[in-house]
This record gives sequence, structure tokens and C-alpha cells, in this order.
Amino acid sequence: MKSLITFILATITLAACHDSRKLTPAPETIFDDNGLHVITSFHNDRTRTISVLYGNDKALAHASQEQFAHTPGVATRGVPTPGVATPGEVFKLVTWDLKQNPLWFGSNINGGLQTVETVTVSAGESGPAISYVLENPTQKNGKNAVSSNAERISFIFAQRASVFP
Amino acid sequence: MNALKHNRYRNAIALFAGLLFTSFVVLQVNSPRIENPPVTSEFHGPEEVTRILKRSCYDCHSNETNLRWYDKVAPFSYKVAADVEEARKRFNFSEWDSIPKADQEGKLWYIVNMIDAGRMPLPEYAATHPNAKVTPAELTILKNYVTSISHKHYAAGDTAAIVGKPKVTHTPTSINGIPYFDDYKNWKVISSTGRPDNGTSRIIYGNDVAVKALEENNILPWPDGAVIVKVVWNSQAPDADGNVKPGNFNNIQIMVRDAKKFAATEGWGFARFNGLDLKPYGKTASFATSCINCHQLAKGTGFVFDIPTRVVR
Repeated sequence: MKSLITFILATITLAACHDSRKLTPAPETIFDDNGLHVITSFHNDRTRTISVLYGNDKALAHASQEQFAHTPGVATRGVPTPGVATPGEVFKLVTWDLKQNPLWFGSNINGGLQTVETVTVSAGESGPAISYVLENPTQKNGKNAVSSNAERISFIFAQRASVFP
Repeated sequence: MNALKHNRYRNAIALFAGLLFTSFVVLQVNSPRIENPPVTSEFHGPEEVTRILKRSCYDCHSNETNLRWYDKVAPFSYKVAADVEEARKRFNFSEWDSIPKADQEGKLWYIVNMIDAGRMPLPEYAATHPNAKVTPAELTILKNYVTSISHKHYAAGDTAAIVGKPKVTHTPTSINGIPYFDDYKNWKVISSTGRPDNGTSRIIYGNDVAVKALEENNILPWPDGAVIVKVVWNSQAPDADGNVKPGNFNNIQIMVRDAKKFAATEGWGFARFNGLDLKPYGKTASFATSCINCHQLAKGTGFVFDIPTRVVR
């Protein structure tokens, strides 16, 4: 009888201690958007990354247009034209590691911050000037390194805005 | 005098023993009986999967309950009967089709996660029924199984083109009084998730109180006023580069922290608004019970699943 009680107690204790889910918040992974809007998000099982694309009003407006690919071109002065980069647009593509959610098998959640890519469209002398800056907070060998800046800019411009209520 | 005292003492013991015996007998006579109603729609899965489920889950979660003799002895029998009744209410492998087809997969993922977390089979049950325990190898079989069935989501192709935004003009309100609001769009994103289990992509926002609570590691419990909003889209099939992008808007979920008001659900008020017309989910306020039942798995993070975390070593 005594051994049975010991067995039961031991099992319960073991069950209670068997908790690999002891977690603490990791607020350093939260991106400070400085008032930018969320445009869209996507994840990739091959690269094990998850990304959120942010942008200012103009960037969101362009990503919300449906029919035209958002490729750089010559803008009509002052009027945002579908398919044309408009001076003033700012995009930030933030990419995190993708990891399994320790609290739910079947869900993948962002881990540490990997990169922040910023695309800024400004007015140049002969049309919009586009700048691309890659920040690599973790100094990891970013997977983006294999793509050229132009490819990354096109990729970011090609994203369509997610539908929000 | 001494003898008298001794006699009284002996009588008291006899009386007590008698009472104890009588109550034991009464308990046995009144002991609840667990009936096994007919199996109406049995769960069908691969043989190796059903074998594990039958051994570990069916004693409570089916109409094929097979009790050991010691489960039938009062007072334990009362606890066992109550557990079986509750278990069958949660889900019943013998009446599997009573769960809407669309929810069956979700239920299987839930089952696997409950086992993964060591919450099922109930630890006290597993202690007295060691045979019911699920081994790590068996858990892997179950995980592989649910993963394999869920790829079907992509085949279903819930990838409608992104359409214009029909704005909702009224403010939908959940039955528990939590209204929909737009302001979360100005909040910080605290995490984002991709869910191969149910084919959705999510962005999770926190208000200032919630973000501050994360920054100060003050989530056990979360402070009153913390609000977390989760926007859910159906995932599109992966593109050529493997990117899984959001397709149709699915629903929006809100968790509001008010320890007093929502004491019955661990201090969290839950609300969900489905589709672009933001139809409030839940016909009665009790819908939140099923929310918190599942969120118990995230007890270690104050009942919130999707926050940025690292493991404490």
C-alpha cells in the first residue's frame, strides 16, 4: 500500500516537473513599427522564416491596388498611378526565424528577428529614385544575400495587401 | 471507573466502525454505473493510430468504456463516472460524426496537443492505469498522422483573390459584451504565426498594456486592461519559392484581460468575429468555456498562446 502511494505521488510529481514549457517573454523580437501600417505577412517552411511587410500610407495604398503589378516606372507628377512607384512610399519588410510554437504542436511562430529591409521611393531628377537598405540585426548570413537588391525591391513591390475587416 | 471508560471507548470505536462500514456499503449500492450506449459513428483512422487511441483514450472518450474492478469500488467509482461523463461530453470516438466534419481535424490536433503537454490521459488516471500512457514513439505516430491529414487544406485551395474591403457599418458585439474595434491596427504586432494544422496565417497585436507586460515579464497574471487581437487569414498554397501568403480573411479574435469580470475563464474575456461581416461567434456566453479549456495549455504564459517567448533554462 505504502509503495503504491509512493508510486502515485512520484508519478504526479514527475508529471508536474515534466514541463519543458517553462517560457519567458522575448519582447526583444517585437518590431517597433514607428506608426507604419501592416501591409501583409507570409511564412516560408523552406527558409524557416516568417515576415511582416509594413508601409506608410502611400505604400499601403499601392499594395492595395489590385490589377497592376507594382513595378517602378515613371510617375505622373503628383498623382499616384497604378503600377508606378510613387515618391514618398516607404516599405519595411521584417523577417524573423520561424520556429515551432512550444505551446502548440501544429503552429509555427516567429522567433528571433533576422533582417529588416527598407525600400524608400523618393523623387529623383528623372523619375522616382528607389533606395534599398538591408539591416541585419543578428549579423546572420542572411538568406537574402543571394538575391540582388533589384530582385528584393521587385519582390517587396509585388506584395499585395492582406484583407482586413 | 477505568473499566467503564474503557468500555465507552470500545463502544465508540465499534459505533464508528459500524458507521464507516454502513456508509461504505451504502456507497457501493449507490455507486454510479457507467452504461455503454451503442456506437453510432466510429472514428476511422490508420490502424496504428486507432490502436493507440483505443488503448489510451477509449476508456473515457468512447462508448466502449472498459473499467477495471478497482474503478468500480466506491468512492473511486464516483470520480471515474464523473470523469467518463465529462470526457464523453468533450468528444466521443464512438459518436465521432457528432462533431461537424470541419471541426474533426481540429479536434484531433487538440487531442495530440493535450497528450503532448502531458495533460492527457489525466495524470491521476495514467498513474493507476499505466497501460494508458502514450509513449514518445506513439506520440510521434499521432503527430505524423495529424500532419498528414492537414495538407489537404492546401488542396482545397482556399486562395481566392484578394478583393475589395466591404466595410462593416455597425459595431458587432460578442454575446459577452466585447465589441469589435478597429484600433488594433495602430497597435504593435507582438507575433505572427503560420498554422499548418488548420491552414491559416495570423498576425497578433497587443495594446500598450500587453506590450508593457511582455517587456516587464509581468504576465503571470497579465495585468487588467491588457488586450490581444489576432487576425486570421486562410493560407494560400505555397508559391514557387515556398512563400505561404494570406488569402481570404477568416476571423478576428480578441482576448480582454479583466480578472474580476472574467473570473470564470481565468480572467480573460474571449470574442471572435467571423468573416468580413464580422459575425460574432458563440450563441451563449458559455462558448468561452471551450476557449479557456484549450488555452489551459498555455497556462505557463498566462493562458496566451501566441506571444514571443524563449525557454527558461
